[in-house]
Amino acid sequence: MKTVMIKTHEAWLEMLMAGFMSRTENKQVLFDFSDILFRHFTWLENELIELGESYSYDRDTIPVKVERLSDLLNNIIKRLNEIDLQLLSSPDKALDARIASDLHYMKEVLKDMKDEVITAFNTERKFPGLELTQEATDALTLFLFEETYKEYELIMIYNYLKAHSNDAYMNRIFQILIDESFFHLKSFGDMGAKMGILAVPRVVMKELYQVEDVVQFLKDGIDEELAAKEECKKLSEAVSKDSPELAKFFDFINHQENYHISLMTDALEHYTKDKNA
Amino acid sequence: MNVDAQLMEHMMNPKNYGTLERSDAQGIGKNPENGEKVVIYLRVGTDEDQPYIDDIAFQAIGCTTTVVAGSMLTEEAKGLNFNGVRNLIEATMKLLERLPPEDAACSEMVALALGAAIDTYEKRLDDSDYPVITYKIVNSCVPKEENKDEEIK
Repeated sequence: MKTVMIKTHEAWLEMLMAGFMSRTENKQVLFDFSDILFRHFTWLENELIELGESYSYDRDTIPVKVERLSDLLNNIIKRLNEIDLQLLSSPDKALDARIASDLHYMKEVLKDMKDEVITAFNTERKFPGLELTQEATDALTLFLFEETYKEYELIMIYNYLKAHSNDAYMNRIFQILIDESFFHLKSFGDMGAKMGILAVPRVVMKELYQVEDVVQFLKDGIDEELAAKEECKKLSEAVSKDSPELAKFFDFINHQENYHISLMTDALEHYTKDKNA
Repeated sequence: MNVDAQLMEHMMNPKNYGTLERSDAQGIGKNPENGEKVVIYLRVGTDEDQPYIDDIAFQAIGCTTTVVAGSMLTEEAKGLNFNGVRNLIEATMKLLERLPPEDAACSEMVALALGAAIDTYEKRLDDSDYPVITYKIVNSCVPKEENKDEEIK
């Protein structure tokens, strides 16, 4: 089961990366498939928790640098085949049958997907239709690397907290935060691919998601969100001359952080109240 | 940070990121200001009685600069004997004053983690249960002007 969960984690990210790389109608299909694989991952995680087995979010490095989309799709199909085989030895036959059915359909679709030339790794660092100064380009590059990883890290943390909580109020908050982080991850990943600097986020260290002090985590999280707002503001100012459109996008992300701060403040209040009761 | 082709490569494909299946020692470099840290994992080989780094990996709770520094330094450390590693750490520490504060703090954290890992290895030669050594950085991630403001407040 643990191996299936790790392989599913890798397949989810690989599919997501393929979605970032695509510039055609394939993109949405790949994003939808990656969402399904993420849900498989959470089902498998839940199964491990019910069985009382320890697990982590460790995984192997995922090589995604390809020149054609079909090269990556073939790798994904191989990975899905491995998962399919390993599901046979898994104890929950009903869950395995559901997952296997999805995998079979995905493989058929991926096999017939129209090929594309990939530019997501050309390191040109040019945003389509936009001339940025060197300083603004460097700032945007660093922002995209920092934030793509950060959003992935947040998804893993909130997902772990949700998986280990039976508190409906908190789980509603964790789920919204996961959804928000997915939107941001997809936005930043897409931008990274357009600039030719797409990269798979690095593995998240255990101590980050196996949170020992939730109150402190939430307090730190609110501070980080406030810092992220500042980063968005700086970036918006840096690109505003060259691209009012991009500046508006970063203002939008900046204001979106207010939702996260509000949710985390609610969570902090609820958690503290609960602990003091 | 000025982003050049070499930095891009380390950002997109950090070298040696992760853990080792079997490691002989670990070391931690920590920033006490914000809890950021770097963990180095070592597999040590012995060549004519001189230990050397056979394999190395690192993980970080930190920013992109820390990951780039970890990628670069671990690449340089791989294959070096311990004297070579100590020279590499010394050379890195000497470079720090030429770097902007936030970059200096990140590089120092990686260098200290590397030093902690080889010190842990050496301590474990006498005591196999010796705990993983942690060294704390002295450089601040926050530029001096901001520090000054805080002091005034």
